[in-house]
Amino acid sequence: MSMIETKDLTRRYGEKTAVDRLSLTVEEGELFALLGVNGAGKTTTIRMLSCLSKPSSGEAFVDGYSCTAESKAVKQVIGLSPQDTAVADHLTVRENLEFMAAVYGYTKDEVKQKTDRIMEEFHLGEVENQRAQTLSGGWKRKLSIAMALISEPKVLFLDEPTLGLDVLARRELWREIEKLKGKMTIVLTTHYMEEAEHLSDRIAIMVSGRIVAAGTLQEILAKGSADNLEDAFVAIAETNGDDGTGGNV
Amino acid sequence: MNRMTAFADRNRKEILRDPLSYIFCLAFPLAMLLVMTLVNTSIPKESGMTVFRIDNLAVGIAVFGQTFVMLFTGLTVSKDRSGSFLVRMYATPMESADFTMGYLLPMLAIAFAQNVLIYLASLVISLITGPVINPLGLLVSLVTLIPSAVMFICIGLLFGTLFSEKAAPGLCSIIISLSSFLGGVWFDADHTGGVMLTICRILPFYYCTRAGRSAVRLDFETDTFMIPLLIVVLCAAALAVVASLVFRSKMKADLS
Repeated sequence: MSMIETKDLTRRYGEKTAVDRLSLTVEEGELFALLGVNGAGKTTTIRMLSCLSKPSSGEAFVDGYSCTAESKAVKQVIGLSPQDTAVADHLTVRENLEFMAAVYGYTKDEVKQKTDRIMEEFHLGEVENQRAQTLSGGWKRKLSIAMALISEPKVLFLDEPTLGLDVLARRELWREIEKLKGKMTIVLTTHYMEEAEHLSDRIAIMVSGRIVAAGTLQEILAKGSADNLEDAFVAIAETNGDDGTGGNV
Repeated sequence: MNRMTAFADRNRKEILRDPLSYIFCLAFPLAMLLVMTLVNTSIPKESGMTVFRIDNLAVGIAVFGQTFVMLFTGLTVSKDRSGSFLVRMYATPMESADFTMGYLLPMLAIAFAQNVLIYLASLVISLITGPVINPLGLLVSLVTLIPSAVMFICIGLLFGTLFSEKAAPGLCSIIISLSSFLGGVWFDADHTGGVMLTICRILPFYYCTRAGRSAVRLDFETDTFMIPLLIVVLCAAALAVVASLVFRSKMKADLS
């Protein structure tokens, strides 16, 4: 069953086209990576799928709901971890999680139950009462993803989840993301090749707002006639007109 | 817990855990209360200047304190908007009314608590320096100043929605200066006359202190209490509607 479907999804900002006639399908339980350089249109795509931007043309559906006409229904089934961590700085880790659970309308008991569960799953116990502003980058990202998961969404959007993290924090976060695989549909944007390679079921390469290649790692490697993702990415991107200046946005 | 209550609770915690809130919203107004009380002791009685007499000063400082709550409202809203926190919140089922009420309610509670503390300090000062303020008058004045608090918070909400994290506090500072000078906090506007009094009467701030001071004296005359209070209530209601509409429109624009 398709959990996400877009048909000719396009977003223009004035003269510039950030996302250009994007048509993709993401199956239920799949971890789908949007791989591209800065400005390729990955974040704009995530914004449209999470009802934060309206498409200039085309359509997007999440769990069968239209992102434009049924945004309320879409928002009930998605979780978003934005590129910036977006946590409440003066609230503790537990309070941030409880706050997000309360926003989804759970009862007091449910809020506590869900917070306890997610804290255990993400091993947040040791920083439970620490204010978010005092957390390291890695812990903040973990908290941000945990906040996106508190409502038990069917679809999770992770926008550059490991951007700016050191290698250890990145690997730790990968382990957490891997644990989520199969439990929900995940769309992850990244410009780290090894991240897409390590985590994804399928990868889509975005260049100048367009998906120029999509498939499993093996299919992408075959298309780029390369034996590693970086070489394949460069070959595909260059063939499709990316001059390395960051696309057309 | 509903969405609005959850967001209000988050905002209350964010403000109360910021040490600057206590400095600006509590310590500074209380310090001004003490300083102006000392100034009052140096003013000869023959001058007839009563604006710093504790019964008048208490209300002036209470209104002055509310302007700092406005500043923190502007700061909180503009900071939320400039970062990605609101982006995350926009992707949840929260609606525009949840946001505006979620900002307004905790700020109103903070402004009320601030005024209670200022009035308690004023009562103690009045017992020491005289004239002793009627506690019942202070209680009535506390309630009288609620619309004034709503008005200032809505100005903060409006500036925080429309302007950046850098611009909003600056604009709020202008309102702090305007409201304290033209609202009769630091001088008795009724004794000025001419253009000055006309300007004071055009702006709503003058009516905040006027209604509050009349309430302290338990003077409920139409001219001195009812009309000023009505003007403040109408301004607060109008600003609340404008701030809500502007926030909704900005949110819609952000999501377009």
